[in-house]
Amino acid sequence: MSDNSRLHVNFFAPSTPNMKAEVFIAAAILGIWGLLSFGLPLLIWLAGLGDPQGLGRSFITEARFLGFPLHYWLIAQGCTIGYVLLCKLYCILWDKKVPRIHSSGGPRP
Amino acid sequence: MRLNNLPGMGAALLLVLSTASLGWAEQAVRAGEEIFQLEPGFKAAPALIMLALMVVYVGVGFLSRVSTTSGYWVAGQGIGKYGNGAAIASDWMSAASFMGVAGLLYLQGWFGLGYIIGWTGGYVLLLVLLAAQLRRFGKYTIPEFLGDRFDSHGVRLFAATVTVIIAITYATAQFKGIGLVCGWIFGMSYASSVFFAAGVVLAYMLISGMSGVTRNQQIQYVVLISAFLIPLWSLMQKAGGSGILPQIEYGRLLSDLMEGKTAVGVLEGEELDKATRAYLPWGTGGSIYHFIALVFTLMVGTAGLPHIMIRFYTVKNEDIARRSVLWGLFFIGLLYWSSPVYAALGKYWNPLGGRAVADVIILSAPERAELGIAFIGYLAAGAMAAGISTVAGLLVAGASAVAHDWYATVFRPDSTDKQQLLVGRLVTAALCAVVVLFALNPPALIAQIVAMAFAIAGNTIFPACVLAVWYSRANKYGALAGMTFGLALTLLAMTGWILNVPAFTATGLLPATSSALLVCPLAFLINIVVSNLTTDKVSENSLRRSDQVLRKLHNVPGHPEDSRRPQGSFAAK
Repeated sequence: MSDNSRLHVNFFAPSTPNMKAEVFIAAAILGIWGLLSFGLPLLIWLAGLGDPQGLGRSFITEARFLGFPLHYWLIAQGCTIGYVLLCKLYCILWDKKVPRIHSSGGPRP
Repeated sequence: MRLNNLPGMGAALLLVLSTASLGWAEQAVRAGEEIFQLEPGFKAAPALIMLALMVVYVGVGFLSRVSTTSGYWVAGQGIGKYGNGAAIASDWMSAASFMGVAGLLYLQGWFGLGYIIGWTGGYVLLLVLLAAQLRRFGKYTIPEFLGDRFDSHGVRLFAATVTVIIAITYATAQFKGIGLVCGWIFGMSYASSVFFAAGVVLAYMLISGMSGVTRNQQIQYVVLISAFLIPLWSLMQKAGGSGILPQIEYGRLLSDLMEGKTAVGVLEGEELDKATRAYLPWGTGGSIYHFIALVFTLMVGTAGLPHIMIRFYTVKNEDIARRSVLWGLFFIGLLYWSSPVYAALGKYWNPLGGRAVADVIILSAPERAELGIAFIGYLAAGAMAAGISTVAGLLVAGASAVAHDWYATVFRPDSTDKQQLLVGRLVTAALCAVVVLFALNPPALIAQIVAMAFAIAGNTIFPACVLAVWYSRANKYGALAGMTFGLALTLLAMTGWILNVPAFTATGLLPATSSALLVCPLAFLINIVVSNLTTDKVSENSLRRSDQVLRKLHNVPGHPEDSRRPQGSFAAK
């Protein structure tokens, strides 16, 4: 793709206003997604490092939320509810931020 | 291509199966040991419920037959957000979700939750990185998308091969689930019930011709989710709760289980220790590395599954594509918020049942709670709906990869519809036979086998698709190198798992169900490095065609140089 007339697409260097808006929203959502998916398990792991038996006991496993051990609720329901809300947030942000284009190459066939 | 009326298919399948069954029958008895944990014998009410639902599916398929290829492959691109959401959920929720997740949670406790967040979080990736762009491309298959974007038949063939491998691995697990349920309903051995299940799936595909797939998937979603949720209310009441919202109520039950309080009395000593450990983070033997590796693998796998991605082609426009992911994930969430309840109730009634009961825990828990045969029959019918809708989708995805992407596009572009149909039939029969052979002696639990299919998708299709959409310098050499590396390492891990090589087992460095944490980023890297090293080797024409696809993916109007070329001409290739 040495030719300058070519379209340059790179997630980390979006070239058109449309792509910039899409990438901005995607990066924001992916950031929260990463915190939920990997941040929470890491937090549970870090908190449980002090357990001499190596089973991961900590204040998170001792705490109760809606009757659940907190560490269980966070992963079983906290994350999954979070994902559904993230999808909703993505749709809202997209509707607000991404310019509408309806060219012949656009979304409507 | 239409896959209905397949007389040759049944005969070919019968021949292969009868030959193969001789040697495998003995191992199959062991593989199906789970059924013997349940009450044996023929059950009239569940059998009736199941047959009635089969008649509905076939009837719907028959009534919504289509006559165009667009109608056949992408349902005329007229599906709305709720409808496509339900179809995504039904396509997605297989025997693994319906039976396997509860089984894993029963065995692995907290650690098993990795399957739940892996299989839901992947939709976020799919939504933000691929859904809208794939809809803008708007054709029929994922191998077709990759083949057009990289302007390469090699990439097309490779992606089609991977699709076939995924279909076989994934469908193996479904057949195990369907086989277990059929065995329970009709009182057959595991081997016989796998054959019976193959007959049921083939009959379903033969008569309904796969034409009413989307509508059927919507009905199957209603059947499977109601079958899953309704028994929970009674089950929770039997366990001493109010039964109003079991998904919240089981929290207290779980906390009690950690203190050893069960239906069979308060556990003590070693048994209490076992019950407590099950719900502590690392009590069942996993580590933080294995948890994150599993979650990551299932997420990228979810975002790389060809039969899920093509659901975006079936909707009206990209707005609907995005919203249908939201609704699909919500519908999937309803099941995943509920399957841990079955696992907890299973522990409550049967705290010490091991691996042998895990894959049938959703039948075993209501059975032990004496819920009534009709209730459990409906539950079993839901499991059948889950398995059948996914198998049908998978067999068509596999058959289309060969008949549409290999045969009709690459090897015989001048082939007639009739020839393509014949190839489609033969491939479907062959795929079904291979799947049955594997299902007779499955190497792992249902959800684990499915996780391996996700590892393949996450290590091959996902990196190729993301770079195809978001990195214009990615070319066919990079895509082929990345996909070859991803596939080779995944297959190596799967073989190692089956042969019990320490590095590839559940506690090893590269478990077959979790290989993507290491392999997927490397596949990305190899694709990028090789693409940059081979920039000069791609022809000017090829670059122009890739550029056109990218303009379509990102809604960028064509360059003036291309203005004489009619818009979308590349799509008619």
